[in-house]
Amino acid sequence: MNGITDAAVFESFPGVAIDHDNIEHYRGILQRRLLVNRCADCGTWHEPARSRCPACWSTRVEPTKISGRGVIALFTVLHHGPPATGIDYQEGHPVAAVELAEQPGLRFTATIVDCKRETLRIGLPVELTWIERVGVPVPAFRPAEPRNA
Amino acid sequence: MTLPIKDRVAIAGLGSTPFSRDAGRAAGAMVLDACVGAVRDAGLTASDIDGLCGSNVVPARYVQGALGIPECTWHANLTIPFQHQIIESMNAIHAGMCSTVLAYHGVYRASGTSRAASADPFRARYGAGPNVLFQTPDTFEGAVGHSPWARRYLDKYGVGREVFGKVAINNRSNAVLNERAAMRQPLTMEDYLSARLVREPLTLYDMDLPVDGADAFIITSAERARDLPHRPVLIHAAALGQNDRPFSAQMLDVDCTGQQIAIRQLWRHSDVRLGDVDVFFPYDGFSIITVRWFETAGYCDDGEANAFFDAHWETSTDRILIDGRVAVNTHGGSMSEGATQGSGHFREAAAQLRGEAGVRQVPNAKHALVTPGGFFFNAGAVMLRTE
Ligand SMILES: [Zn+2]
Repeated sequence: MNGITDAAVFESFPGVAIDHDNIEHYRGILQRRLLVNRCADCGTWHEPARSRCPACWSTRVEPTKISGRGVIALFTVLHHGPPATGIDYQEGHPVAAVELAEQPGLRFTATIVDCKRETLRIGLPVELTWIERVGVPVPAFRPAEPRNA
Repeated sequence: MTLPIKDRVAIAGLGSTPFSRDAGRAAGAMVLDACVGAVRDAGLTASDIDGLCGSNVVPARYVQGALGIPECTWHANLTIPFQHQIIESMNAIHAGMCSTVLAYHGVYRASGTSRAASADPFRARYGAGPNVLFQTPDTFEGAVGHSPWARRYLDKYGVGREVFGKVAINNRSNAVLNERAAMRQPLTMEDYLSARLVREPLTLYDMDLPVDGADAFIITSAERARDLPHRPVLIHAAALGQNDRPFSAQMLDVDCTGQQIAIRQLWRHSDVRLGDVDVFFPYDGFSIITVRWFETAGYCDDGEANAFFDAHWETSTDRILIDGRVAVNTHGGSMSEGATQGSGHFREAAAQLRGEAGVRQVPNAKHALVTPGGFFFNAGAVMLRTE
């Protein structure tokens, strides 16, 4: 498939419940490509990754690169959570469910960066970016650059 | 539509320990205390029990061995909240799998719940428990799940955090009167609003309180229960609810939850209507869940709970009293009595219907609505009544 072995994926994400249905998602993260499952028969996207399309039950689901555009559907700011490099819970760790441009109701959960607390709100347009924790890429979203129509 | 199981199975015995932050006792020992209490309360002995229903915190085979219950023809270690144990025991009895179930729930502040808990060698050796934090900090799974929905609720309906504070204050005001409760200091709105945010917009006061303790119930046929010492508490109607987006991040909106599904089914099967309810037990694992149970059950419209609480607030006792009559979570709920994942709600509901709730008794309570569980995958609704 590509140069990153299963063993390398497991090693990069200790403690994450990686299985046969989601390992391509994590392999993609190591290449800074955010992959979400899409049905090759009917085109429906789904998240989290499973073996069948929930709309048509096809097993032809393909981890597919997303555009990285979306809006914040939900968010919280955590002041308590699992210790992780670069996260200061005193200051607050923002986590959002981003509604992806690909499909209504399709959401990916990630942290928000480069965003003032007062800017963070439901409905904020955001775009995908990448940060690192202990050398491993982590998908994140930041406020979208204004675009020409 | 009336189901054949309606009023055919009853709660006939109750047993509980006190609830505290540190009982200094093993989970199994507390479960056995509650179980012995429930069996004796029902006037039964070990050989009368032929069904056991608990969870993997303290599995059924532990209880059966420890209490020398000779033979069981049905047993189950189920997930929480505790409506599963009540409902599956009811189903097993009605189906004829067994006649009398000892259903129980033990809680133990596991090492995964806090730094203080992990410093206790007994808790460390017990293991991380079900509350261990999810490994990634960037998720809505686990304990984070309801916090973004609390934010969404406040934004969608344009109300302040006070709506959540009123849930916390109601529960605490009730817990002050409950000797079993872990938290009995009165709580003010000032205390609530000045509390540290843990998962915005929620504070520690918006969350259930990990404790040590146990509850146990004897569940049997209504026919058999009528021959036992206490007034039978009949399971009148029961339902569960879940939809096809059972994940916090994927749920479509606050009004697209399992709660709607459970309550619609309950109202299809219950002859007891909302206006007949004398005491209400909405789940309070997180305050937003309680707020939405009021709205979903039909006490008020979506987004109207804050105004409803104000209109039905009893100032002298600093708590909710619907129409001056219907008290809510009279034991203090999971927030203030302690987090029992619904077993405390059922135990207090049964005590109220037996007329044995002491200083907390709702006069002449005949019908209790218990609505355990949250938004995503564990909502339920149970109507209990007496004859
Ligand atoms: Zn499909």
